[in-house]
Amino acid sequence: MGPLEGLVYGFSVAITPTNLLACFVGVVVGTIVGVLPGIGPVGAMALLLPSTFALDPATALIMLAGIYYGAMYGGSTTSILVNVPGEAGSVVTLLDGYQMTRQGRAGAALAIAAVGSFVAGTVGVVGIMFAASWLADVAVRFGPPEYFAITLGGMLLLSRLSSASLTHAFVLVAIGLAVGTVGMDPISALRRFTYGSVQLSQGVELVPVIMGLYGVAEVLILAEEGAVRAQIASVKLRELFPTREEWRRSAAPIARGSVVGFLTGLIPGPAAVLSTFISYALEKRVSKTPEKFGTGMVEGVAGPESANNGATAGAMVPLLSLGIPFSPATAILLGALVIHGLQPGPLMISQRPEIFWGFVASMYIGNVLLLILNLPLVGLFVSVLRLPQHVLATLVLLLCLVGAYSLSNSFLDLWILVIFGVFGYALRKLRVDPSPLVVALVLGPMMEKTLRQSLFLTRGSVVELVTRPLTAAILLVPLAALLGPPLVRLLRRRARAAEAPAA
Amino acid sequence: MRAERVIALATLLGGGLFLTQALALPFGTPERPGAGFFPALVAVFACVVGLVATARAFVLTPRATAPRTIEALGPEQRNRVIVSIVLLVIFCALLPYAGYPVVACAFVALLLRWLGASWPGAVITGVLSAAVSHYLFAVLLDVPLPRGPW
Repeated sequence: MGPLEGLVYGFSVAITPTNLLACFVGVVVGTIVGVLPGIGPVGAMALLLPSTFALDPATALIMLAGIYYGAMYGGSTTSILVNVPGEAGSVVTLLDGYQMTRQGRAGAALAIAAVGSFVAGTVGVVGIMFAASWLADVAVRFGPPEYFAITLGGMLLLSRLSSASLTHAFVLVAIGLAVGTVGMDPISALRRFTYGSVQLSQGVELVPVIMGLYGVAEVLILAEEGAVRAQIASVKLRELFPTREEWRRSAAPIARGSVVGFLTGLIPGPAAVLSTFISYALEKRVSKTPEKFGTGMVEGVAGPESANNGATAGAMVPLLSLGIPFSPATAILLGALVIHGLQPGPLMISQRPEIFWGFVASMYIGNVLLLILNLPLVGLFVSVLRLPQHVLATLVLLLCLVGAYSLSNSFLDLWILVIFGVFGYALRKLRVDPSPLVVALVLGPMMEKTLRQSLFLTRGSVVELVTRPLTAAILLVPLAALLGPPLVRLLRRRARAAEAPAA
Repeated sequence: MRAERVIALATLLGGGLFLTQALALPFGTPERPGAGFFPALVAVFACVVGLVATARAFVLTPRATAPRTIEALGPEQRNRVIVSIVLLVIFCALLPYAGYPVVACAFVALLLRWLGASWPGAVITGVLSAAVSHYLFAVLLDVPLPRGPW
């Protein structure tokens, strides 16, 4: 099935009452979650995952993905109106977005952010259609050594690109890999590190860990401030339209941001956040007035907001075509698919086309819904911010607790939630990004299985394993990312030392 | 600086402990790695990272490392966080015995009160949130929430 045929088939799957409703619920919840500072899309997806058990796989995926890209739309609203980023991918937007609000151009900023997000989302979906199919065709030829290289390379690259220092990122990777070994050995079924606990034999569930690290940790941050209400700038509907000049200045940043975002989404790491910084830096670089960035430049809103939506689409490509999630959000989507008995990967596109193409088509529909909802209903979404912070924190904590328990009716999951919640809070206070731990927890079991299979194939030879052409090529990129910067610094230092005596 | 040293030592200690546990499992051979092979690799990786982190935290000059300090909290903020965590622990401990409706109501009411709400508001929110969440999960989603002795 070619991409266009697949898309038409996908629309026939996505445009059913159930799937349309799931898409609508997902994007509305995602927008609300994005508007609320602190409760990010990952925490919301983890919270809602138990409620998708009764849905069929395509519907569950559509709803959860709706939350993910809906949150990108919602996050920009809070950045622009309240000078607080609704979620991490909207941090850069507040630099110029809030300044536009102070100049009475809040409506224009919101409209440009919404349209930019829509364009980028559409470009991203086209990218998924072609890139995921192509990558899936290539990946069918991958064996255990290549999958091992991808998981190892992904973790190395993520460690370099996360906001944590390299050492801290490696510590978190080690913790994630270690926690991933708890339970039954995937090959021999021997129980490891269970200390007699039957519940631990099933391993440590991903969802309570994510709920704890992102949901509970964020709520503990909110709890610090107690009873607080946000100061919100008001926006009238008639003030929503940018001027012709603002549209003209936004067009190129939106186009650039869409492409930058999609490409950034393909690589492991906090793609949505990274893409916004790259886009902002790019717009400053190409601008004739870079000194004006930070004072209310519309380019500073259009580019990053497009980039973060492009990145959410790009992040889907490795998940759908390889079955490998490179971020916590796509790890949740993988969890949803596995819970429904599906294994995403290169064969899913051909064996379960209704899942893949239905999902892609729903992203088109979701982007349209978000554009329609976000502008006229911006006042309604923002009113959620008027909820006192301490009430919000308490209710979200309760939802996290009952949600974690409902996964497998296990009290152990509650304790995992609390332990990782406290740990996540400590990481937040240290300004360390927890995503290396989450990705290591997800990729660890796959990494172990493919490593052991590879060693069996190569009769124990590690050299033979890493020198296979595809494996070596895959490992080259993260190794260059890891070793490149220190090597460049060393060469520069030597060059300076060589020049100094001459001076 | 102190946070860096604590992280470094904890990583080294944790890696060492994990290694002793991993070595108790069958290691296998390079051609047929056993159940203890990958955990041992992870433990060695953790020990190496711990050693590097310890060297950076204790031996290198402070300027050479980016010190991580925990953002300072005022006493009221610290107390709010500590009480939130204590209530979470009590929730987990009491849930199997007292049942979800009672524990959820008490959790929400006590936490809200501690965070600054009035008693009537906290109790009403506690009762409502416990009732709504119970209906949503136990009735609509058919999750067998603990009922306690009631």
